[in-house]
Amino acid sequence: MEKQLLTLTVNGQPYELYINPKTLLVEVIRDHIGLTGTKRGCSTVSCGSCTVMLNGMAVKSCSILAMQAEGAQVTTIEGLEQTGELAPIQKAFIDHGAFQCGFCTSGMIMTAQALLDENPNPTEWEIREGIEGNICRCTGYNSIVRAIDATAKGNYKEV
Amino acid sequence: MIHDFTYLKPSSLKEALTMLEEHKDDCKVICGGQSLLIIMRQGLLVTDYLIDIKHIKELDYIQFDAKAGLKIGATTTHHTIETSDVIKKNYPVLVAMENKLASIQVRNWGTIGGNLAHGDPSGDPASVLIALKANIKVGNAKGGRTLTLEDFCVDFFETALEEGEIVLEVQVPTPEAKTGATYQKFNLLESDQGMVAAAAAVTLNGGGKCKDVRVVLGNAGPKPVRIKRVEELLRGKGYDEKLFAEAGKIASEDCEPVTDIHASEEHRRHLLGVLTKRMLKQAWEQAKG
Amino acid sequence: MTTTSLATTKFTVINTHVHNIDGVAKVTGRATYTFDVKLPNMLYGKILRSPHPHAKILKIDYSKALEFPGVVGVVTGKEDTLGVKQGIWRRYQDLCDEQILPLDKVRYIGEPVAAVAALTEDIAEQALDLIEVDYEVLPAVYEPMDAIKKEAPEIHEGFERNINVTRHIEWGDVDEAFEEAEYIREDWFKVGGQHHVSMETRAAVSDYTPDGKLTIYHSNQSPYYLQALMAGVLGMREGDVRVISHYVGGAFGGKFELDGAIFCSAVLSKKLKRPVKIIYTREEDFIASKRRTPMFYYVRTGVKKDGTFLAREAKVFTNGGAYTGMGATALYLTGFFHSFPYRWRGYRYDGYRVYTNTLPSTSMRGFGAPQAMFTSEQQIEWIAADLGLDPIEMRRKNSHYPGYEVPGQARIESCGIDQCYDEIQKWIKEKGKLPENRAIGISACGFMTGGIFNWFDTPYAFSAAMVTINQDGTVELYVGAQDMGQGSNTTLAIICAETLGVKMEDIKLHASDTDHCPPDLGAWGSRQTLMTGNAVKMAAEDAKKQLLEFAYAHAHIVSKTGLNIVYDLDIKDRWVHNVARPERGVDYSELVKIALRGKEGQKIVGRGFYTPHRKGMISPAYSYMLQGVEVEIDEETGKIRLIDSLTAHDCGQPINHLGLIGQLEGAFSMAAGYGYLEYMPFEDGQLMNPNLVDYKMIRATEMPPTAVAEIDTYEPEGPYGAKEAGEGLTNPTAAAIGNAIFHRFGVQMKENPIRPEMILNALKEKKEQKKSGKKNK
Repeated sequence: MEKQLLTLTVNGQPYELYINPKTLLVEVIRDHIGLTGTKRGCSTVSCGSCTVMLNGMAVKSCSILAMQAEGAQVTTIEGLEQTGELAPIQKAFIDHGAFQCGFCTSGMIMTAQALLDENPNPTEWEIREGIEGNICRCTGYNSIVRAIDATAKGNYKEV
Repeated sequence: MIHDFTYLKPSSLKEALTMLEEHKDDCKVICGGQSLLIIMRQGLLVTDYLIDIKHIKELDYIQFDAKAGLKIGATTTHHTIETSDVIKKNYPVLVAMENKLASIQVRNWGTIGGNLAHGDPSGDPASVLIALKANIKVGNAKGGRTLTLEDFCVDFFETALEEGEIVLEVQVPTPEAKTGATYQKFNLLESDQGMVAAAAAVTLNGGGKCKDVRVVLGNAGPKPVRIKRVEELLRGKGYDEKLFAEAGKIASEDCEPVTDIHASEEHRRHLLGVLTKRMLKQAWEQAKG
Repeated sequence: MTTTSLATTKFTVINTHVHNIDGVAKVTGRATYTFDVKLPNMLYGKILRSPHPHAKILKIDYSKALEFPGVVGVVTGKEDTLGVKQGIWRRYQDLCDEQILPLDKVRYIGEPVAAVAALTEDIAEQALDLIEVDYEVLPAVYEPMDAIKKEAPEIHEGFERNINVTRHIEWGDVDEAFEEAEYIREDWFKVGGQHHVSMETRAAVSDYTPDGKLTIYHSNQSPYYLQALMAGVLGMREGDVRVISHYVGGAFGGKFELDGAIFCSAVLSKKLKRPVKIIYTREEDFIASKRRTPMFYYVRTGVKKDGTFLAREAKVFTNGGAYTGMGATALYLTGFFHSFPYRWRGYRYDGYRVYTNTLPSTSMRGFGAPQAMFTSEQQIEWIAADLGLDPIEMRRKNSHYPGYEVPGQARIESCGIDQCYDEIQKWIKEKGKLPENRAIGISACGFMTGGIFNWFDTPYAFSAAMVTINQDGTVELYVGAQDMGQGSNTTLAIICAETLGVKMEDIKLHASDTDHCPPDLGAWGSRQTLMTGNAVKMAAEDAKKQLLEFAYAHAHIVSKTGLNIVYDLDIKDRWVHNVARPERGVDYSELVKIALRGKEGQKIVGRGFYTPHRKGMISPAYSYMLQGVEVEIDEETGKIRLIDSLTAHDCGQPINHLGLIGQLEGAFSMAAGYGYLEYMPFEDGQLMNPNLVDYKMIRATEMPPTAVAEIDTYEPEGPYGAKEAGEGLTNPTAAAIGNAIFHRFGVQMKENPIRPEMILNALKEKKEQKKSGKKNK
């Protein structure tokens, strides 16, 4: 199979890769670029563990061909920190115990960040609807909802 | 495991159609691809060429004017539709449907054209759009044709698309005055695929009697099921809860749902009856204004 | 913390707002799970699985697979593992009945048959198609009630009627107590299975090196168990096997046993002398891991008309699936917890675990108790209704109390269930009248704090810990406990910081690596807070005592603290001080340096261990709780929506506050899913929903508010009075949902998950009964 050239930007860094076109975006992120913070939990677009931001939108990277991200700006969990400082949503997750095993957490945080970017003042129900594409088997979600709500309220603004 | 393919990325609609013409039966079209990749991963679909139309801007639009109605380009995403002001204003039922179609990630990436071309009878848009009397424009290198969405849906995962054709546009007429349209699916998780679903559109005349009505059921057969006996029953009649119950009964008789692990055929018929009754009532009340 | 408040503050760390110590790693994507491990020269493995529920393997020909470019090796039972059997009950060889690569027979769809290692996962997957296996398909049986029939196919040789194990529990004169009963009720229940659905599927990377050492990265809940089990099946010394499980993406009882990923990757690695990684797909994880045990439950209960409980008898037939695994323990515990949290004059339980041709059932959060409570707590609600009694007061008057002895089984020390009833009553009262389509259901239960069973025959203490102190006062804490998300790393660090008198940020915890941590039985049966917690407390006390010896002897500190022989010194919040006059003291790091010099440069090392003694047969301590759920049910569709909930919970002294709340909320979501969503239907031995599209679980939109009322008790056996939290709450919720439906419609739901169709059918049946009842009159 002839490999094809893919150029994209991940967390602000430009990449040029030759890939088999069947490669999924999550595989490029994890296996080719080596950013393993993004996980995979299902391969049926169900669990949301692989959520990243593509041009600012939350998408499930397990169900997008990497070639479809040609020229795109991709942000993964590793791209949320700014100069070594955790993003407010990350601080809120820690402060509210909004994770347990942590396997869904990267995807959950990316979904939450995209939600807040689009809707800075979500209601509790909007938060719940916003993260319903992400399965967390550990927490029962309520701590996650509290963390997102507190972030929206500005409790973890960067100093 | 996904089998190898050659990935083609046409830069325009014209080029896409030419590629389709060239590769005919050894190619598939990918748009959002979130359903397509699942079946490719399962090995159920193998193709030599995959033609990606996701990025074709020519097909990414929402246009509305009161005369011509609504036109949605095939590569418009679900999230674009649900956040469109003209759709919010003129077709609130589409917004409600899109909002519960799936998770935000899926709505961000998935497209209306891809959804309809997939031909899944449990897909949400088709039932609602048929209730709204939508047409669909498809085309190939030789030209385009427009058919009703009802005729476009043929069978389980089968549409009227012919070799070399893709979906170009969905067209929804402007609803007449005093029209109400509703949609609800039955599921256990908020935005999960529906075990069954029902869409209803009711138009009233000046006297408050039913002028026109459509009931379309989702996941109730191999394609969206339009219940014409209910339309006959209601036309010319006034608001009457007994009639809605009767309509529900007819709907549960006239659909052809299957038994699977989520629900038996009998249970699905029952639910379709309940949803029909409820959607008609809601649509009617909406139409009254 | 000011020094003056030290005298009055009970705790400086325990039950305060402490962040999870793995938090930064987990919210930044830095945490590396087995799923993420990549070693130099690593190969990828895939497992060929049986398409048949029951078949003889006649021949395996993998020559074509070996020739496939990129394939490096293939292993089979016949050539490589030679029929070696495994099971967690190492002491009882007849219960070690699972050959992970079978020699001659497969017993469920999805059972491993051979494994391939290749340069990429894709190549390995393609190679699977090139392995030819000749099977002789045998008749199969899937349900326990069919499998115990005389004419049923034999699944394991020599097990009559496919009965794998039986368990019997009895106390008191049961028949006499039934004779005295004024009201007797009997019911049959069908209680469902449930999948663990850890977000990280089963995963292992094995690295066998030519010096005969094996390192395994594995997603599990007890590294020491896996070390010992792997050494056993591979014929190696335990000390030559190292298991690393730094971050585990969920387990819930499902990553306790040796699985196909670890076994096949290790066997491949041993053969090829290269690292081999095996990650299960979600589908493999569903069909070829294990599940909560489905059970048929017969319950007969005798009471007085005033609601005094007298006698109970239960008979249980469980769907054991193809192998024993942890199933024998679940069989015992379901019978034991079926009696909880009540006093029975006579109690008799007979459990039969039946082999079937389905994937094996095993331990899962609650360990047999969710099944027991689904049956018991609903039947008790019905009895109260039958007799016209208040179901809460009836429960209360029959409940355990501090000092109660479950005859021959357990002695209850702390027990706060009485206060739990108060909290639930208050909650219900405050709600007032509910809308017509809603009802409240409640359910009680109790649970264990770690098991006293030494099924593993370990020569080590059940838990151990070591504490060393660096010259700057930072602390290295070594434990063998496993954090798979439940937060044990944080809880144990809290206990260490509190005991030693330092701050959370001083503790560096080392766990999840058998080369560097003491052996510990790991995370199961809610044991680590109490057992490892006691070991950590002991180790920290040991280190502190050694430190203070230098303080008592050091003139500078004596003068600073105003010490005389009747005064005690203590350390809290890094302040070494006179207990009677806490403002007088020195900084802790000063003392550490003094001690280091005093020990000729040796670090202070504190050691601790714990093994339960004289605590009965089951567990050293028991938690108690009540679950209240407000449920909305659509009468026309049967759809259930959870509106609100209260958990009244006695876990002794809470240690890790954030962790506790998270565990309770998480247990609620899993338990509610068991009540009305999570469902594993089989057809001809094939699981029909092995994916996250068709296997439905609670999502954020289905989760109701989860209020928690913590009951203040002190468990003398636990560290600082702590006991179980977070597993027990998986037990009561399904019954609470059932009880809400009962109060809403008067129908009795005897099967779970309670799906809409079942509710509507029950309503229909009730209507028909009413009609025919009227006719008969």
